[in-house]
Amino acid sequence: MGWWIPLRSIWRNRRRTVLSIGIIALGTAVSFFVLGFVESSRRLIQESTVHEYGNLQIGSPDLWNGTADSYDRLIPPDAVAQIEAALAEEPTLVGSTVQLQFPGLLARGERTQVVRATGVVPGNGVLEFNDLVFIGRGLAPDDRAAILIGRSLAEKLALSPGDAITLTLTTVDGAYNASPFTVAGVFRFTSEAFEQQVVFMPLGYAQRLLNTPGVDRVIASLSSLEATNPARQRLQSALRGASLAVDVKTWDELSPFYRQLSSYFSALFGFLSAAVSILVFFIILQVLTLAFLERTREIGTLRAIGTTRAQVFRLFLAESAWLAVVGSAAGVVIGTLLGLGFNAVGIEWRPPGTVEPVRLAVQLGVATAAVPFVVSVAATLLSALFPSIEAARLRVVDALRVE
Amino acid sequence: MGEASRFCHFRGERLLEASRLTKIYRVGGEPVYALRDVEFVAPQGDFVVINGPSGSGKTTFLNLIAVIDRPTSGEVYIEGEPTSTQSEGQLAALRKTTIGLVFQSFNLIPVLSAAENVEYPLLLQGSERSPRRARVAAMLAEVGLSELARRRPSALSGGQRQRVAIARALITGPKIVLADEPTANLDSETGGAVMDLMRRLNEEHCVTFVVVTHDPAVSKYAKRRVRILDGRLEEGGDHGMVDSAS
Repeated sequence: MGWWIPLRSIWRNRRRTVLSIGIIALGTAVSFFVLGFVESSRRLIQESTVHEYGNLQIGSPDLWNGTADSYDRLIPPDAVAQIEAALAEEPTLVGSTVQLQFPGLLARGERTQVVRATGVVPGNGVLEFNDLVFIGRGLAPDDRAAILIGRSLAEKLALSPGDAITLTLTTVDGAYNASPFTVAGVFRFTSEAFEQQVVFMPLGYAQRLLNTPGVDRVIASLSSLEATNPARQRLQSALRGASLAVDVKTWDELSPFYRQLSSYFSALFGFLSAAVSILVFFIILQVLTLAFLERTREIGTLRAIGTTRAQVFRLFLAESAWLAVVGSAAGVVIGTLLGLGFNAVGIEWRPPGTVEPVRLAVQLGVATAAVPFVVSVAATLLSALFPSIEAARLRVVDALRVE
Repeated sequence: MGEASRFCHFRGERLLEASRLTKIYRVGGEPVYALRDVEFVAPQGDFVVINGPSGSGKTTFLNLIAVIDRPTSGEVYIEGEPTSTQSEGQLAALRKTTIGLVFQSFNLIPVLSAAENVEYPLLLQGSERSPRRARVAAMLAEVGLSELARRRPSALSGGQRQRVAIARALITGPKIVLADEPTANLDSETGGAVMDLMRRLNEEHCVTFVVVTHDPAVSKYAKRRVRILDGRLEEGGDHGMVDSAS
């Protein structure tokens, strides 16, 4: 049957058609806008998380299984060399570095703060946090007892670059050790907790303080977020081949905060999308039922001149499909315009627990539009199912009697 | 009358037959006989006018022989085949290929043009575009509506709409055309013109026409007249030809 017949039919009552398309478009636009916002926020957090953890971290299983206080987790230099050799074969690798993290107590006079001290290779170009320093300077390769502290910690302990502080720690042998440090610079980060609890120092000096040549993780930076999982697969099989007892973790596995937030975002969008779809479903159901009731006699005529029930069903469903596609496409256009407008305004917001405001944005594009488009089309077709079935089931003589 | 009409007239083939056709409706739990043991036969090329007052069972009878309704008992045979055992799909196929319907209120699809309304049954048959369009143009020319092919039904007069409906009924080349009060919504002059057209098409296409009407003026177009009263058919009038022009 001609595709143009259902298209022509939907314009028989222009006001109702415009109303239907408007409702579908509005639902699609709202879903698209919210999803775009959610995806944009998720992307920001992904990038921030990768900045903190790298794409991949390779370490002993003990490092992540709750026994992290034990220095048994440390990777000896020969194993590090093997891991780095395996990483060198990874095509998406941008760079790699090593870290040594350990707990310590930072003190300045009477004021103290428990910190997660992190020994980093200054100038490694992968994950050194020097680019976050906004007061003072970053760590240099020839630094020894220099330390980078977060802005919140600097405020808490009233520290500035050049100030002296003391770090107390336990060596790998279980002995107490303490060392004076000079604050080289103050860094800022999106998370207040990170700024308050993490400090950076040269890896060589950290190893000397802990009395070990080992590190606790090798960190890999990859060309993109999307490269993470394939690279992990390749690396895992390579390391298994080398009989190294290490695990490879991805950035999202390392960040419970990201996982929780990502689940929350998904639930938020799922709830909103479901609510909008249900609303669209019932409104369109009502509109289509009314439209089909008005055409009972016409349905009788169609059936009387040889149209089968299946053809009537397809005809009415095709009308709804046109409505769904036109309405959803209009919704994507409206959502895009709303998103462009929102992005142009440049609204900033400081999320709870963070110190830097982030610029709110709506992620636009085909990938983001696809889900709301498909959901709206599905909701509309679903709402058309009942009236279409009813139309197809009408008895011809009964339908023809209707005035 | 031409060769075709002489050839078509009473060929003796039992194209459409009703046997002991009964239709009972329930009104307030009580049975009401709309039709009672009706016997009817129409051969190919016949032009039967069934006349009767309102409520006599005319439309019920037409609905049954048009296989859009099922009898309470009895049987309708189309080309000798019983229809009571056929599925909805098979009956729809019969209506698509063998039976054409003309309604009192024309029942055209308002969003389609005159040509598209006529084209619709061919679309159902899955005809190719080019021959389909040619056939529609020829049919519209035959009913005198070539100039109005692109007009929607709302832009046509009652007589023109009924011509479109007749063209739609005939476009698939059915053997039977059933018309329910085809002149009821037309003035007498237009109604006469429509009946002239139907009679001409009956002659030229050798199609069996069964027209139910309460309008006595339509009877003069009949080759055969039948009267229906209280759900019973009675043969009425002669079986001879009536001049289509009269």
